[in-house]
Amino acid sequence: MKLLLAEDDAPLAAELLRALRAEHFAVDHAANGEDARHLGETERYDAVVLDLGLPVVDGVTVLRDWRAAGLTLPVLILTARDGWSDKVAGFKAGADDYLVKPFRVEELVIRLRALVRRASAHGAARITCGPLVYDAGLGSFERDGLPLRLTGLEWRVLTCLILRKDAVVPRDALIERVYDGDADVDSNSVEVIITRLRRKITPARIEAVRGHGWRLHAEPEP
Amino acid sequence: MTPPPDATAERRGGSLQRRLFLGALVFVTLALVVAGLAIGLVLHRFARGQIDARLDGALFAILADLGPGRSGLTLTRPHDGPPFDRDLSGWYWQVRTGDAVLRSASLAGFDLALPPIRETPPGRPRPADGTGPRGEALILRVLYRPGDARAPDTVLVASAPAATLHGPLREAGRTLAVALGLLGLCLLAGIALQVRLGLRPLRRLRDDLAAVRAGTQTRVPAGQPEEIRPLVVELNLLLDQNEANLERARAHVANLAHGLKTPLATLALTAERHAAPDLAPLVASMDRQVRHHLRRARAAALGGPARARADLRAHVDDLAGTLARLHAERGLAIDVEISAGIPVACDAQDLDEMLGNLIDNACRWARQRVRIRAERAGIQVEVRVEDDGLGLTPQQTAQVLQRGRRLDESMPGHGFGLPITLELAELYGGSLHLERSDLHGLCARLRLPA
Repeated sequence: MKLLLAEDDAPLAAELLRALRAEHFAVDHAANGEDARHLGETERYDAVVLDLGLPVVDGVTVLRDWRAAGLTLPVLILTARDGWSDKVAGFKAGADDYLVKPFRVEELVIRLRALVRRASAHGAARITCGPLVYDAGLGSFERDGLPLRLTGLEWRVLTCLILRKDAVVPRDALIERVYDGDADVDSNSVEVIITRLRRKITPARIEAVRGHGWRLHAEPEP
Repeated sequence: MTPPPDATAERRGGSLQRRLFLGALVFVTLALVVAGLAIGLVLHRFARGQIDARLDGALFAILADLGPGRSGLTLTRPHDGPPFDRDLSGWYWQVRTGDAVLRSASLAGFDLALPPIRETPPGRPRPADGTGPRGEALILRVLYRPGDARAPDTVLVASAPAATLHGPLREAGRTLAVALGLLGLCLLAGIALQVRLGLRPLRRLRDDLAAVRAGTQTRVPAGQPEEIRPLVVELNLLLDQNEANLERARAHVANLAHGLKTPLATLALTAERHAAPDLAPLVASMDRQVRHHLRRARAAALGGPARARADLRAHVDDLAGTLARLHAERGLAIDVEISAGIPVACDAQDLDEMLGNLIDNACRWARQRVRIRAERAGIQVEVRVEDDGLGLTPQQTAQVLQRGRRLDESMPGHGFGLPITLELAELYGGSLHLERSDLHGLCARLRLPA
């Protein structure tokens, strides 16, 4: 899962990047409204964490511009403004969730996972694919009732596939949602990650659709 | 005992209308009295002049016909034509030279008593007052002819009854008084009307200001008479300034919030990363302090003369939508049963703050349902926010709304935002009561000015 973090305060952004990456998210960071707007329009993200008090262009304007341009990606507003009028204004501008500073990382992560799950039109908090279960609240995977141990990149790939289970996820879409600016793409090419994942999730399988992408299947190959 | 300050102020202020009217009353009365006296005097002189001319005519006619006779005085022609023929009519004449006396027939032999006459220029009659044989008041004309070696001085007197002068004058005076009185009444009515009409823009200005205060208008309309236009301009400048101050205070508070809370958030995250659990309550306490004081600062910026007006339904709808999203994972049903067009005399942000806290609280504790209803209650509007949660015991209720509680005391259970709502509601002259809802949870009754 890949996030865009739009936050101008450098110390807070650094802490947030560290905390979110520790929760396996791929995160891009924008320090002002203009960059955030540009990234949101050109890159593919599963969710955005948007500060309202951004320099150059403020958060509400960025959000309005995205919505006006038809972008539907889920946006969580993270702000110091705790008034109800601010919250109403945020939701009216097109936000999907709202969190007031200071906050707990746990709460932010739970809300982000729920946002992404709802955005992929999954109503339930647990998504099942054969023996594989994804708990959107905890962000954890189980296989046959036992916790599945995954690296950060593996987790990103698998959440991306399970949120779109039984559908083909194009290669470039997957890559965009897995790597952030800091990732070492070469040694962790998506093919390598998929190979490692296939071993971990059998009997569920990841089918390669030639020239297109991958698809997560509940049943083993016939 | 000193009078209450507003009574003194009222006395000093008084009524502009009354002041203008009383001033006009004094001047009109004075003018009419002076006019009445002047007209009376002119009439008197005119009437008196008429009588004098008639008496003088008689005197000169007698003087011309006067000749020496056996008794020393004779008239070549009789002068007892009307009105000198009727006995004791008051119309008399009398001529005296030394001891010789001639009288009009009307005197019927009585002597016409002469008042002591100062030296009179000869040849010109002069006026005097006297009394007739019946004791009636008389108007006299006296003509003095100095004597010579052959004859002594001659004094001619003619009289008319004073009633001939005063009767018609009284009559004319009465008519005059009535006419002047009517004129005065007309003038005063006109002045009263003028004062009312003239002061009407002031009354309209008062209505405009009341509308500004009630929040139905933001400024006083500029279309005003020339005399009060500067006042209106100043008023509008004051209103603008007030609004600008409020905006500035709000912007300041927002900046402060951002400036304080972002480092606080960083601190919280750092504490979490370093696994320092004892820091979390400290951060939470700091957050509460910051929030409390920011809210106070914002509330202090309020309280200007202009009060905003907000539509209850629109705000509740927005908040319900917002809270449904914030509690999206819970799948709560938030029912809004409020008819459109109920205005509340509250600043929009404060209204959001009060209602948001109540609805958020209800959402936190609801099992499935939150219901928001509102109705007018006299000059107030009552909003009821109910949930189907566990509710509160009376003891908890008292605790939740308790003021002066230390801020860093963690409040268990219900009501993180309830004291804030109570504080704001009381700032607006409203109230907040908690009771049991028929949905089994808590019912918060918020009353605000309509």
